[in-house]
Amino acid sequence: MTAEPTFEQAQAELEQIVDRLERGDVGLDELTKLWERGEQLVKRCASQLAETQGKIEELAKRLDVSDS
Amino acid sequence: MKVESTEVDGKKVFSVRAFNEGIGAWLGKLPTVWVEGEVTELRRQERWASVFLTLKDPESGACVAVQMPRRQFDALELALEDGERVHVYGRPELYAQRGSFSLRALTIERFGLGAHLAALERLKRELAAEGLFLAERKRPLPRIPQLIGLITGNDAAAKRDVLTAITTRFPPAHVIVAETYVQGPRAAPAIVAAITDLCERGVDVLVIARGGGSFEDLLPFSDERLVRAVAACPVPVVSAVGHEQDTPLCDLAADVRASTPSVAGRLVVPDLAELRAWLDRAHTTLGRSARRLCERHADRLTGSRTRLRTAPLLAIERRRARVGTAEARLKALSPRATLERGYAIVRDANGFVRDPPPAGAALSVEVAGGTFGARAE
Repeated sequence: MTAEPTFEQAQAELEQIVDRLERGDVGLDELTKLWERGEQLVKRCASQLAETQGKIEELAKRLDVSDS
Repeated sequence: MKVESTEVDGKKVFSVRAFNEGIGAWLGKLPTVWVEGEVTELRRQERWASVFLTLKDPESGACVAVQMPRRQFDALELALEDGERVHVYGRPELYAQRGSFSLRALTIERFGLGAHLAALERLKRELAAEGLFLAERKRPLPRIPQLIGLITGNDAAAKRDVLTAITTRFPPAHVIVAETYVQGPRAAPAIVAAITDLCERGVDVLVIARGGGSFEDLLPFSDERLVRAVAACPVPVVSAVGHEQDTPLCDLAADVRASTPSVAGRLVVPDLAELRAWLDRAHTTLGRSARRLCERHADRLTGSRTRLRTAPLLAIERRRARVGTAEARLKALSPRATLERGYAIVRDANGFVRDPPPAGAALSVEVAGGTFGARAE
């Protein structure tokens, strides 16, 4: 069992998949699998990004309040 | 000189004056000599013809009164002070009126200025050879010191200069001041003790400050014990001793050398106003760059997603195109296409006819539009 990939790992894998799909040297069966995996990675990256962005905004708001 | 005495009841009796004069005359025959000792009770006044001092043997405590004509004393420009070691060149003299004996000085020399210098130079070479003054030993000062230790003279201008410089630049600074002797034989051990004490009290930087002074005044700051204590000090040391041209050995062993006490004060603390401005800038930049980084990642992800969506369709499309091409090529290879261009396939009972058949042979001819029979001639 491998640990949850980091954002950077997920991003790297996603970009690798896109590159392979665009090069087109992929079997038809594999094509579906890769694409599915890619979509999964997109979802994961997007949610991680949204989470980070949310945290930053929240912290900034809290610090601004305690500043004034 | 003839000393007169009178006969009283068979005894030879001298008057006090005659006695003193007799002793004085005898003393006057003694040679002029050098006497070494420590200056104490130095008394000099403009209206006095002579300057008086007591020369003392520091080890045994033995004393002798010394006097010297004031003009001669002033001409030496020694600026002597109590506690200094000197060599006095003079001869014994008796003041006949009071019967007091003194050493009449012809000249006075500071003892061992040359000897001090030579010893200092030797010590400097020795400590340098040990690596005490190496540049790589120098530690950086803390950016924002939590507790500053200041070692300086009691009520000295140096103390005020350092404190003013520190509080002007960085009002919230905490300073512990250790007032010690800053000249004389007790100075070096006192300063060493102050270094230890302040370090135990948790200072994270140490300033040793003393204003200018004579070569002798600054000697304690070249004392081996003090120099070693500065080098071994667990926290960085700023040394501001004497003026620019003086270089006591403790300046060389310190992590930072300041030309004056004020400079030392400015060196140990950051400028609070600058610090605040920097912090504000950093705060703004931090928020901005964090958001920008998130946006950049989001953009990159959007790009990947778009490519991911189109890539499979493109892959399928490419395959479809390849199938189409293959179909077209296949079609092109079919003989029917050849017949369309006006060619015919001739068969006989054995199949394709490749050689001219014998006359009268029945043939079947296939053209694009269909098949018809024929006979060879």
